[in-house]
Amino acid sequence: MTTRTRYFVIVSLLVMGVGLGTGLVAYYVGLPMGAFQRNGGPDELQYIPRDATVIAFANVQEVMNSELRQKLRRAIPVQENGQREFENETGINIETDIDRVVASLNPDPDSTNLPGAGMVLARGRFDEVKIEALMRDHGAHVEDYQTKRLIVADVPAGNPMVASGVSLAFIEPDLVAVGSTKLIRRAIDLHQSGDNPQAGLQSVTGNEELMNLVRSLDTSGNAWAVGRFDALTSRAHLPQNVAGQLPSITWFSVSGRINGGIHGMIRAEARDDEAANNLRDVVRGFMALAKMQAGSRPELQLMMQSLELGGAGKTVALSFVVPAEIFDMIPGAQKPMPAPNPPQR
Amino acid sequence: MTAPAARRATPSVLTSAMRIFDLSLGQMLWSRRSVFLGLLLGGPVLLAIALRVVSVLYTSGFRINGAQAAGASVFGMMIWLLYIRFIVPVLGVFYGTSLIADEVDDKTITYLFTRPIPRRAVLYGKFLAYLVCTVLLVLPSVMLVFFLIVPIGGSSVGEAFPSLLADFAMLAVGLAAYGALFALVGTRLKRPLIVGLVFAFGWEPAVLLFPGYLKRLTVAYYLQALVRHEMPQDSAVSMLLQVFREVPSVTASLAALAGIVGVTLWLAGRAVEQREFVLDQ
Repeated sequence: MTTRTRYFVIVSLLVMGVGLGTGLVAYYVGLPMGAFQRNGGPDELQYIPRDATVIAFANVQEVMNSELRQKLRRAIPVQENGQREFENETGINIETDIDRVVASLNPDPDSTNLPGAGMVLARGRFDEVKIEALMRDHGAHVEDYQTKRLIVADVPAGNPMVASGVSLAFIEPDLVAVGSTKLIRRAIDLHQSGDNPQAGLQSVTGNEELMNLVRSLDTSGNAWAVGRFDALTSRAHLPQNVAGQLPSITWFSVSGRINGGIHGMIRAEARDDEAANNLRDVVRGFMALAKMQAGSRPELQLMMQSLELGGAGKTVALSFVVPAEIFDMIPGAQKPMPAPNPPQR
Repeated sequence: MTAPAARRATPSVLTSAMRIFDLSLGQMLWSRRSVFLGLLLGGPVLLAIALRVVSVLYTSGFRINGAQAAGASVFGMMIWLLYIRFIVPVLGVFYGTSLIADEVDDKTITYLFTRPIPRRAVLYGKFLAYLVCTVLLVLPSVMLVFFLIVPIGGSSVGEAFPSLLADFAMLAVGLAAYGALFALVGTRLKRPLIVGLVFAFGWEPAVLLFPGYLKRLTVAYYLQALVRHEMPQDSAVSMLLQVFREVPSVTASLAALAGIVGVTLWLAGRAVEQREFVLDQ
């Protein structure tokens, strides 16, 4: 073997060795993601307890200002009423006060609420005094918890849906947490003392399995959700014959970029390769059926053509585009835009 | 009388093959064909760099049919379209058919055949050199593409890593199977390159499109069963391929590919032993 052949073999093996070593490190302990990609996830995740089964995020400003939202606003004005009601109850105008929200669902053995206990963390601009006064007017009372004011709403005693009550607290001046009192308390604990696994206090950022999914979605859209499918179905107490028909999915994630239309991706992680193959077969069948049904409607055909089934091993991914033209089919969506409502302050 | 005879005893096939391998690896790496190989394998890396640059410059990322594509999906698509359907068969055809044919064309086969080594060891040594040469070029190329493409769109390198290992094994097996098959074609047939190209890009894609048993007479049928990535739906042909796709089990595929390598190499070795190579004057 000549010297240059030997050098070539050494360089090639070196590239392979470095690559395999990096891959193994990434597989077993995770990589410092900055080396390859942004460290994903909004900051609010550090206040969500580790056992969260579902996490969702929405960039409210982007979604509210999107062309799609404007279209839907013209087509379905009833939404305005719900928004106004929420503003009357809490003093928060979703459209102007909130920049982004992160929501979570955590298992709660005391609650009969099927998905468990929920919490929403909203970042934006809030009038703390006005919100507290409004909630007090509606029967809420204030408790002090670890230097924070916990505004506990008046919920009928014994309501199994919200066993631990509903509260609101300002974790930071521009960050409000609304949801199950138990979860809000844990969020305040996490804010005060940070991650402390020895004390049984850990945020979801320490849940590597879930964070990997969050990181994989963070850059891709202005709204997303990830969750444990099996945890949700196990709490749903479905009949045996129905549960048996559900695909063997462990994790799922949905992400979307909402603007004129919706660009989205649904990903599911099956229990094993065989389950993933079965799921792919099912999805492929539905895709073929949908493509046939799309027929001669160009706006539907565009959407059908955008369907792309992907993923490897246990992962099944389906990306799609819902074009703006689809929403034009909603009666009233093409009406001229009404003047925006002045904020009720 | 017996001592000199023992000293001149023919070395074993393995020892001889290793000597030929040592000699051929350098020749194969620094031949004109390697320029072609470099271009072939540099293409995906350049494409990966371009996609990475696009994903960095445009926050909306790389899109397929308007939808943002995850890096792992794009990598899977590149493995299918570039490596499995093109690079691996092309390398098999160009290198496999030329293992012996090059020596015949250069009229240097006589020097190898006049050595006191089994003739089939020449083929086995050259096949081993082909395998090492292509594996040492293809796998680093795939590795670079993997690290450039997978982080796009936020896919996790750690999560996709097991599928990379499976890809490595699959590509090595594919190179071995195509190389062995076309080595047989190169030793048995005249105009092996044309026959090889027709087989790899005519027969295999055509037969895979239709239902029936004929697809079992291809390498691609067994090789594609080892791919963990979802087959891309890039064209009507791909859709048809998916509809009529029968996937044999991994064990059956590995057994079939091992059978293809073993049988074709044995037949090629036999052909080299028995065939009279006539050198053009």
